[in-house]
Amino acid sequence: MEIPNVAEKWTSNVNEITIGATKEKGGTRAKTVTVGGSKCIPFMDFDGSQGHKPVVAMDVYDMPPDDWPETLKKPFADVLNNPAQWAKKCVEYGADLICLKLEGIHPDKGNKSAAETVSTAKSILAAVGVPLIIWGCEHDEKDNEILPKVSQAVKGENCLIGVVTQDNYKTLTVTCLADGHSIITLSPVDINIAKQVNILVSEMDFPLNRIVMFQTTGALGYGMEYTYSIQERERIAALTGDKLMAMPVICDVGHEAWRAKEAKSDDKDAPQWGAREERGPMWEIITAMSLLQSGVDIIRMNHPKAVAAVKKCIDRLY
Amino acid sequence: MENSHYKIHFLPNDVTVEIEQGKTVLDASYKGDIFINALCGGDGTCGKCKVILQPGSVRRMPSSHISEEEAARGYVLACKTVIENDLEVFIPEESRLDKSQILTGAFPQFPGSQAAVSPGVEQFKHSPLVNKIYLELPPPTMEDNMADFERLCQNISSKTKIPSEKLTINFSILKQLPTLLRNSNWNVTVTLGNRGPIYEIIEIQSGDVSSHNFGVAVDVGTTTVVAHLINLSNTETIDVEATYNSQIKYGDDYIQRIMYASQNNAMEMMQEILTEDINHLISTLVKRNSLNIHDVNAVVCAGNTVMTHFLLGLDPTNIRKEPYLPAANFVAPIRASEISININNHGLLYTLPCVGAYVGGDISSGVLSIRLDQMEAISLLIDIGTNGEIVLGNKDWLVCCSASAGPSFEGSGISCGMRAAKGAIEKITITPDFEVTYKTIGNVPPTGICGSGLLECLANLVRSGVIDRTGNFQKGIKTERLRSTDNGQEFLLVSRKETAKNKDIVITQADIQNLIRSKAAIYSAISTLLESMGMDVESIEQVFLAGGFGNYLDTRGAITIGMLPDIPVSKIHFVGNSSIIGAKMTLFSTEAHEVAREIGMKMTYIDLMSNNKYMEEYVSANFLPHTNIEKFPSVAEELVVK
Repeated sequence: MEIPNVAEKWTSNVNEITIGATKEKGGTRAKTVTVGGSKCIPFMDFDGSQGHKPVVAMDVYDMPPDDWPETLKKPFADVLNNPAQWAKKCVEYGADLICLKLEGIHPDKGNKSAAETVSTAKSILAAVGVPLIIWGCEHDEKDNEILPKVSQAVKGENCLIGVVTQDNYKTLTVTCLADGHSIITLSPVDINIAKQVNILVSEMDFPLNRIVMFQTTGALGYGMEYTYSIQERERIAALTGDKLMAMPVICDVGHEAWRAKEAKSDDKDAPQWGAREERGPMWEIITAMSLLQSGVDIIRMNHPKAVAAVKKCIDRLY
Repeated sequence: MENSHYKIHFLPNDVTVEIEQGKTVLDASYKGDIFINALCGGDGTCGKCKVILQPGSVRRMPSSHISEEEAARGYVLACKTVIENDLEVFIPEESRLDKSQILTGAFPQFPGSQAAVSPGVEQFKHSPLVNKIYLELPPPTMEDNMADFERLCQNISSKTKIPSEKLTINFSILKQLPTLLRNSNWNVTVTLGNRGPIYEIIEIQSGDVSSHNFGVAVDVGTTTVVAHLINLSNTETIDVEATYNSQIKYGDDYIQRIMYASQNNAMEMMQEILTEDINHLISTLVKRNSLNIHDVNAVVCAGNTVMTHFLLGLDPTNIRKEPYLPAANFVAPIRASEISININNHGLLYTLPCVGAYVGGDISSGVLSIRLDQMEAISLLIDIGTNGEIVLGNKDWLVCCSASAGPSFEGSGISCGMRAAKGAIEKITITPDFEVTYKTIGNVPPTGICGSGLLECLANLVRSGVIDRTGNFQKGIKTERLRSTDNGQEFLLVSRKETAKNKDIVITQADIQNLIRSKAAIYSAISTLLESMGMDVESIEQVFLAGGFGNYLDTRGAITIGMLPDIPVSKIHFVGNSSIIGAKMTLFSTEAHEVAREIGMKMTYIDLMSNNKYMEEYVSANFLPHTNIEKFPSVAEELVVK
């Protein structure tokens, strides 16, 4: 009996996007990172090419993180005060990109100035050769004040900058357009808003192939299935030809996984859960690996052990 | 201990009501039959029932609907003001009912679309539901000795082709028959009423008075009641009159009214309110045209299912409970006097057939008015009211649905909204420099904005870039018209100097979100209905828009905001009040009445509330024009950001 060919015929693909610029392209990066291009649901490579492999971006904060548990602080113990050194360490741990999280510009945290932030960003660029993601503090006024200055200072580096929302997109869109960076559009686990933000940004003449979508991320046990289902719908929309939903997807796995009490609780508080040295990274790994199957292109992560495990899986599976 | 009673003196009505402690000022107004605008039925949500009290006379409840300035002047919400002593209550103009102002000019039937639509009026031959026939009977002789009644029937039958066995006579008239025939020399005018399978002789008059035959068509709307006086002998519309549906004070939408009626055992009262409104309209029309109420022999009422129930005194309670059933969809003609409608004592009252709980006789009537049931082309009839009813189909099939669009396109729930009445802004433009020009109904200084003005306003706000696709006001807009208030941002449309009531006319962020939700409900109903038929937008060949807008409608704007699908404007026809047009047609054509019944039975009702797709569509449609912008290619082009 002939076995019927059940392969799907997708009509379209996820956009390709390159982050970072080498000297020839006007930047200073030793290498660039290209993601996207998938023509199938993850791992269904009999339907079409899987495109570029997903990549891992490791977080670097502009101030020592106040809510990190010991397990997470330990691998970065001597560098948490020094973003450039921290970034360097991340690259040693295997980071494909650095995500500079500007926690410290938030008015309730460090309320850092633009000048300080610019010098932080520049110090990272000087210290490492991988491309840079710059992530604001998600306080609209402060982001609109600081991010344009940082964007301008790193003009030519082709960074990925975010995030813009339905209610606050104009300032950053104009800035990224002028300085040649790519942009991250945020929607709160909502397929409609995802598309709406993309429409709003693209209507300001921002090219669709320089947008990365962020659906906010739920960690294992904390709404991961919502994120999974929305990202899966985004991928199907991209494959069925919706140009406004064909952007690569980024996830914030590290921060979300390490907020879970299962990841961060002390051993003495939850002896039945096993050693936190293991379960913390494990929580991050399982979240990352699960979400990868829904269709993710860039994963933000924290723990070196988790990064190593996830990268190994990606190399084997894709 | 018994509760104390207090005296509430209402001004300017000068009526005093005695009421027990603990009731509200709104309760007192109900008791005194004094109208205070309370669209939400006393929930405190609509903020329309503002009255003025002497400062310090009550404990005041803070409300977002009362500004500080108003509070200082003694304004309170009648529904939230509990009576604890004697009060003097002044009802300000904006909270009163001004009956003279409702737009009645529902006559430009098919403006700009004459060629596309065949007014059904032409299609039916003149055969009024209640007809007057002049007969010259041969006097009886010894040879021709048929009895009086049979003689009458035989002559009616030979003149009208109605078989004599289908003729009946009212007993009280039969008793007068012999004398009347002889006193009038056998020359009489017979009034013959259609009662479905039979015809009833409801009156016999001496001599030829066959031209004295009048009827009234009534559109019984949830918000307004419109009546047209018709000369049944020649189909001429003599006069038009309208009033607000006085049930409004028990709730803006009919679900609230059903709840009020069942909780307060007030079904009979609701019926009386409606019949009083209709009686008032009829007597106004009759007096103004110096007619005799006795010569009004027929009334045809087109109303949604709930209004039809209230009017006939049928219990509508089950309409809002699963599985949502009316008492009846089709009600045979009744004697008008049975529900206290004052016309000829034996005059008949007809209602147009309902389709189901949420699609009523007003829609059967609308379909009849444009003869959607005879069209070759796949057509869409959209009647926009508190409920947006939509009919899709052609001569072979008809499906319909109803979406709770909310009353925002009727001007309700919008800060400066009003119904399409004199003084309402019905047309408005906003230039790229944010200058505003407008036109009001009656060309008088503006009082507020009605549905067509709101629709065009929303379209122009997005066209001029004052709001973005989400409906949010944009930052950095260089105009003083965009300003911040305690309740968020608002855009000034007309400054107080130019208005009738010396009050700025604005549109707020909340208004815009309300309008977007309403248009989203209508669009998603259209697209769900299309999808349930396995059809797409391209298959719609023409669209008929009906409803309580002004005399004018920016049809392109309806596409720009995504209320209608992206189809060529030339396919869209604004048909005004299609419900009353259909009611008139049935009044002067028995055949039209039968067709209306067939239409009612032919339409298949599709329930959107139980349809998963509808909710998904609705969420996507909450964007200007729509999240799936590729469904609106012409709008994407129109709204290219400058």
